[in-house]
Amino acid sequence: MNLLNRYRNLILTTIIILLLAVLMFNGKSPQTTSSILLSGVTLAALYFLIASGVSLIFGLMDVLNFAHGSLFMFGAYAGWTFYTNPRLLFNTAPFLLAMMAGFSLSPVIARWVALPRGARWLSILLGIVIALFALRDFPIDKLVAMGMTMTGKVIATAEAQEPLATMLMRLVGMFMAGVVASAAMATRSAERLESPLRRTLGIVVGLSIAALALLFVRDVGEQTILGLDSNWRFLFALVAGAATGGALGALIEWGLIRPLYSRPIYQILLTLGLTFVFDQVVRFVWGPAGVFMEIPKWFSAQSPDCPSDNLLVWFSQHCDSIMIMGRAFPSYRLFIILVGVIMVLAIALLLTRTRFGMIIRAGVQDSEMVEALGINVRRVFTLVFAIGAALAGLGGVVAAPFLGVYPGMAMEFLLQAFIVVVIGGLGSIPGAVVGALLVGLARAYGDNIVLSGIQLPWRQDAITGSPAIARASTVLIMAIVLFLRPTGIFGKKE
Amino acid sequence: MPNILELDSIHTFIGQFHILEGVSLSVTEGSITAILGRNGAGKTTTLKSIIGLRPPREGKVSFGGTDIRGRRPYDIAALGIGYVPENRAIFRALTVEENLKIAERKKGDLAKRGEMIFGLFPDLKKFTKLSAGQLSGGQQQMLAIARALVPDNRLLLIDEPSEGLAPILIEQLMESIRSLSAHTTILLVEQNFRMASQLADDYYLIDDGKSVQHGAMKDLVNDRATIQRYLGAS
Repeated sequence: MNLLNRYRNLILTTIIILLLAVLMFNGKSPQTTSSILLSGVTLAALYFLIASGVSLIFGLMDVLNFAHGSLFMFGAYAGWTFYTNPRLLFNTAPFLLAMMAGFSLSPVIARWVALPRGARWLSILLGIVIALFALRDFPIDKLVAMGMTMTGKVIATAEAQEPLATMLMRLVGMFMAGVVASAAMATRSAERLESPLRRTLGIVVGLSIAALALLFVRDVGEQTILGLDSNWRFLFALVAGAATGGALGALIEWGLIRPLYSRPIYQILLTLGLTFVFDQVVRFVWGPAGVFMEIPKWFSAQSPDCPSDNLLVWFSQHCDSIMIMGRAFPSYRLFIILVGVIMVLAIALLLTRTRFGMIIRAGVQDSEMVEALGINVRRVFTLVFAIGAALAGLGGVVAAPFLGVYPGMAMEFLLQAFIVVVIGGLGSIPGAVVGALLVGLARAYGDNIVLSGIQLPWRQDAITGSPAIARASTVLIMAIVLFLRPTGIFGKKE
Repeated sequence: MPNILELDSIHTFIGQFHILEGVSLSVTEGSITAILGRNGAGKTTTLKSIIGLRPPREGKVSFGGTDIRGRRPYDIAALGIGYVPENRAIFRALTVEENLKIAERKKGDLAKRGEMIFGLFPDLKKFTKLSAGQLSGGQQQMLAIARALVPDNRLLLIDEPSEGLAPILIEQLMESIRSLSAHTTILLVEQNFRMASQLADDYYLIDDGKSVQHGAMKDLVNDRATIQRYLGAS
């Protein structure tokens, strides 16, 4: 009896869920049910990849990162670009690297220049102006057009690139832009001035060499990448998406979030502003219509044996779908689920088995005390932000063959990710998993209701729903959870 | 013995509130020094000003001869200062063992000093795998202090350790602190005058954000007038 009392809440919840499940899936064939469940878990995996970052970042740093959806989207675009149009990468990445190289000179600049507070923004503005000037007439539409007209297939090399000399001049311009903007850092704390000269120069030289290297190998590099088998290219595209996300995340944290630790409202507004910036950048570079990414050969072979329900055959023939209870389910979605599971395990291991993970868990509880123990929490913040962003970027690339790549994906997924985080509890990874599953299954179920409706046992015909109800279902779940447990299922943030 | 810690007329603000108005103190190495004063006098803020969680706007803070005002708390702590805050601030989601391990500054700190620490607080050894949130109030206080002992800290800042503890636990606590002072210097904020008077060698009296008096503890215990005036109790 005592046992029943203690677990009363859990038992009640389970009973309610079971009842709901019976009602909801009444009248649906086992094929449909399993299809809904699997699709739900697929979506859940994607939501988790975004939500885990948002949750950790908020739990640790009290920063609500609105830009996470944009990182997801940008990762998708970066991965897609690597996969189908590496020329674009080789011709644009050097600019960013050159600007970063110039910017890294800030400790040196700080020794000679001390700007008054207001002038900081002027130097950044000036830097942006110089950058725009360095990039004027850059044929970005020509570089991108190749990729788009080919609707996602491999492109052939053509002369859309500018001659090396022109590119070098632009690089110098970007470098100068970075140097000018770096003066904005010149009013910072004493620690900046103490940065060892050798390390600063090392970073500057390193970034410059990277920029030049990418530029000089652009033709060879492009050929090599396009010459790769599509599966390897896909693998590298995954890495590219994750790396882009991570790098952007680190940059955003260091450059925009850190200066505003004491002003959290501005932090949120800033991340919100970033979503607009990213949206416009993406529309400008890749066009407003979005692009299509093919499913790599590993998951899309068309042999006569496919689709099959024999696991071995399915695996060896790389079928594009697998028979589950007599209905074909796309293989790629199983891959998405696999990635999700791997990432959950990876994060769990990181948090529980490493010192870094221990610091994160402690920091979520009390980051001030962690700092008082002698641990450099600022570095931890940047790393966690970068890791969360990398997960989002990875998610974007993984989602690309499934859902396509388009500017709207940022907001769509961000919204659902926020719902996931609220349901699961801010700062909790198990919460993110549970929340993602709930939201994913709700979406999958909702989409199914739109098509076939719910069959209640006491009614003759099914209740159909509109697409709006399907989308609203996740918000409804969030409302219910918040009503019963305001901090989320696993929430513990006071 | 040289002074391991020196505060020279520091002014600390919380927002616009001028909390510390020119507090100065010196701590002799190897001693136990008590900061006394009423609630709200600024004792906790003084400790936070030292560790950098509330950096002073003016004044000088030097530890072992090094100027530490304005540095980040992790830089200051890394110089060898352990901080035991008023609310203990143990990590409830982590196990007792993890709470200790996270305090390590060099690999092997806990292995080296574990024996000493568990000798002082045998209860903790029993509960190493337990999540820290499940410890009792007294045990959490022990853990908070133990955590500050993991690295080889030259100075411990302890803020009101007896708060909320039953009298018998306070006795144990006093024993532990006495043993500690053999290894390190202690700066103690304590409202419990009986405890402070029995432990500390020197005292600093803070009233309304200003340092009003200091000296040897043995001289203060008999000075009923001062005690009544600044501590409001006897």
